[in-house]
Amino acid sequence: MDLGKIFILALLVNNIVVMRFLALCSYIGMTSDVGQSIGMGFAVTFVTVLATAATWPIYQYILVPLNLTFLQILIFILVIASLVQLVEFYLKKNVPGLYSAMGIYLPLITTNCAILAVTFENISFKYNFIQSISYSVGVSLGYLLAMILLAGIRDRMKTSPVPKFMQGTPILFMATALIGIAFMGFSGLIK
Amino acid sequence: MLSTILLTIGFSAVLAFLIGIALAFFNQKFKVERDPKIDEVRAALPGANCGACGFPGCDGYSEAVATGRAVTTKCSVGGSATAETLSKIMGIDGGGAAEDKVAVLLCQGTKEKTVSKGEYNGIQTCRAAKLSTGSVKTCSYGCQGLGDCTLVCKFDALAMGEDGLPHVNYENCTGCGLCVEECPQKILTLVPRPRLGSIVLCSNRTTLKASVIKTCKVGCIKCEICVKSCPEGAITMVNGIPVTDYAKCTSCGVCVEKCPTKCYKLLETDVFGTKKMVPVMEGAQA
Repeated sequence: MDLGKIFILALLVNNIVVMRFLALCSYIGMTSDVGQSIGMGFAVTFVTVLATAATWPIYQYILVPLNLTFLQILIFILVIASLVQLVEFYLKKNVPGLYSAMGIYLPLITTNCAILAVTFENISFKYNFIQSISYSVGVSLGYLLAMILLAGIRDRMKTSPVPKFMQGTPILFMATALIGIAFMGFSGLIK
Repeated sequence: MLSTILLTIGFSAVLAFLIGIALAFFNQKFKVERDPKIDEVRAALPGANCGACGFPGCDGYSEAVATGRAVTTKCSVGGSATAETLSKIMGIDGGGAAEDKVAVLLCQGTKEKTVSKGEYNGIQTCRAAKLSTGSVKTCSYGCQGLGDCTLVCKFDALAMGEDGLPHVNYENCTGCGLCVEECPQKILTLVPRPRLGSIVLCSNRTTLKASVIKTCKVGCIKCEICVKSCPEGAITMVNGIPVTDYAKCTSCGVCVEKCPTKCYKLLETDVFGTKKMVPVMEGAQA
């Protein structure tokens, strides 16, 4: 499979949020403001690509030869957690505004299932290193795209007459489902 | 089998060690210098995050105090004890402790004593009622009785009574002023807790005596008997309401006695002395 195909598949056809309903916690929690959602999206992109770049070699060159592939979950979580810690240090120093805006969601990237899913799938799809990077960039940009879409919709929702029983999270999930239906149009994009 | 276990332990330990070193290195590299005083001040604050100090929560205030942008006496929740601690941390003179204040409702217009314009069935908040009807009572200055103030209180010090008025629990009230801000009628006011003297529990500023009598049995009817009878000359009419000068007031109680509609009260006995707290009735508020 060529890189462009993998990228488009991850970005649109199998979008991590609206098509596979992963990473919904930060997706709902961080989209109240477009600027914040973009910041969160890029933080996740950064961590995902770094995590892929770190976990793929560890798996292929250490875990497989040592016959320790059952340690995959433990090692991957460890690596992702420390990468998140690194991003946190960096943001605290250089972008304190975004750091305080993200609050609890920054540590929550640690357990963001999108990132863990990407690192596992790189292995199970038998991608090589370049393909893995392409896949992780595609997935995380797909996450960013979904974040911006919902943040924009939420801006409009603030002035819309949402029925009382749908206010808050329910209407967000409804909106996500509708975006998902729209994204199904991409499914014929790649044969 | 054994080698697998050893490999697992060894590999995990090595990886954890390497990551630990890397993180320690980056922690030093991206270190943010932070004034330890901020944390000290923050620890001394009550942590109610009510915003009475005018800063965004206790974190905002502690940063302002530590950097010298704010005085140490702004926290009305912690009162004088907190102000003293903060002054000690900052190494400055206390400069007078924060005044211990409580909220007092300047209205006695219960359901029985006032005349309502009709049945109000709109949105059950004072603000909406005030906007749509001007006032649910014929007195346009009085308490709307829908409990906006009880909803903003973070200290469980306000509750709607059966009589249709909010009651302040003066033991719980910290004088943060959230209810004063919230009240659309602006009839809640902050009074220093140690204050002695008389106070008018009415906010009706109309000068038409007859209209007050028609709308409320406990309204100030502008007879000015209190002004004339006060032996100390401490009472003057300001914007249609008698105001006591607490520098002159001796709590003699003449005005309370003479007031024909009983809207003059003594702070120490009639207001703070009662301390009554009626539990919230089912459905008394939205």
